[in-house]
Amino acid sequence: MSQRTEILCIKCPKGCLLRITIVTNEVKVEGNECPLGERYGIEEIKNPKRIVTSTVRILNARYPRLPVRTSEPVPKEKIKEVISNLKNVVVKAPVKKGQIIVKNVANTGVDIIAERDMERV
Amino acid sequence: MKAYNYDVVVIGGGPSGLAVATKLAEKGYKVALIERKDELGGILDQCIHDGFGTKLFNKALSGPEFASVFINKAETLGIGIHLNTYVKNVEIRENEKEIVAISPHGIKNIKTKAIVYAVGCRERHQFEIKIGGTRPAGVYTAGMVQRLINLYGILPGKNILIVGGGDVGMIVARHLYLEGAENLLIVFPEKRFAGLPRNVQQCILDFGIPYQPQTVVKEIIGKERVEGAILVRVDEKWKPIPGTEELYPCDTIILSVGLIPYSLKLKKIGAKIDPRTKGPEINEFFETTIEGVFAVGNLVQIFDYVDDAVESALIAADGVEKYLNQEPKEKIIEFVPGKYIRALIPHRIEWKDDRNIIAFFRANIEKENAHIELRDENGNLLKRYFRRYIRPSTLERIEIPRELLQDKRQVTLNVSED
Repeated sequence: MSQRTEILCIKCPKGCLLRITIVTNEVKVEGNECPLGERYGIEEIKNPKRIVTSTVRILNARYPRLPVRTSEPVPKEKIKEVISNLKNVVVKAPVKKGQIIVKNVANTGVDIIAERDMERV
Repeated sequence: MKAYNYDVVVIGGGPSGLAVATKLAEKGYKVALIERKDELGGILDQCIHDGFGTKLFNKALSGPEFASVFINKAETLGIGIHLNTYVKNVEIRENEKEIVAISPHGIKNIKTKAIVYAVGCRERHQFEIKIGGTRPAGVYTAGMVQRLINLYGILPGKNILIVGGGDVGMIVARHLYLEGAENLLIVFPEKRFAGLPRNVQQCILDFGIPYQPQTVVKEIIGKERVEGAILVRVDEKWKPIPGTEELYPCDTIILSVGLIPYSLKLKKIGAKIDPRTKGPEINEFFETTIEGVFAVGNLVQIFDYVDDAVESALIAADGVEKYLNQEPKEKIIEFVPGKYIRALIPHRIEWKDDRNIIAFFRANIEKENAHIELRDENGNLLKRYFRRYIRPSTLERIEIPRELLQDKRQVTLNVSED
């Protein structure tokens, strides 16, 4: 049985339309203009991943929220769990960009890191 | 009153303003950066999603991460950074410009040889899209909501209607979904989302957020707070179809109905404004119709990527240098948007240079395997560009070799019929 899908490559701004054919266990990618597209197409079918961005509460800073993100893409079905793991996280200023806020979030092996410096005020 | 003297003053401390200021400071000019808010970075501080910098740095950064690259640079280069400063008046004289600005430290009188405007754009609001009904609490613009969620951790409502299928609306929809909105619906008058296809995938399809194309809000219902909206289907010309009205109950309405260059201040000092882009008319180095006054970033036209906006700023920095060195201009070659081209920059070519001309345009049709043609005033083909897809939602960038334009008076850009 073969199945055809079309997905849009999000690896670079070019946005190639990937035509993907799945024949039982094999994934074939067409329409990509670079190797990144092929890798993305296969990954998107087998194990789609995304960078997750959100905020956590921060005390003594200029804003009440600190923007954070996963250091690496995480499996798509883990996104909600990653976000809910951040619900009760509270950090204190000062924070430096890239600082680890949560280690191994939702058992993904990926850390949550700060997106910006936040000084103590 | 405090007096200052600079070679270049950049108004606006967002990504484009930072880029132009840092590049000119690196070249050795005495640069000032004026920012109305109390921190640099512009709109990027609220854009916490990733995907910035794929062209410039070859990796996907978040908004704050992208901004910090330039902020750190600006702080080490000895740029005169004026925060909390509002430009009240600009006077243009030959070879000198005078700025009067207001700050908590008093009024500042700033003399400069060149000015770069980098004040970005504003969001279109509810009074510009002819929504009927009452005006209760609970109607926001998308950027405002982004700010509320990402800086203050405030969710504006639970049952949310988003109007408009642009990039900002989609990104806000994803944040609202992940941060706990119960019901979400996106409506827009077009047949398809107007934003970038990659955002349709990442923000909407990934999470199955419901949307309804060819639909607009006819009326907002509610006395104190939004209670709902009357939605109506529209035809291809966005004309409401009678009898298709339905009530959608919600407590919040978010408008994401487009961005417009904030060119009011430039108009006031006499710069010519392009009715297509709503930004100033510029030459190939982003100089407006006023000598020594430049415009960069989303003030010129709305860029899809901050990388492209920053590129416009880096090109402008070279133009400022040319102006300060008093390099002579050649004759003007006019640049005209032709068939199926909605907007095109630059508007004219006038400097002598050997670098390629970087042009940005937006088509108004959707086409696969499209050819874009550059023709001179006699209709002769100068160059053809191939694109696998062109869509109104995607800003295209082309490079034009300068030698192609020798002895031309006017060039037109078209999307080919075949």
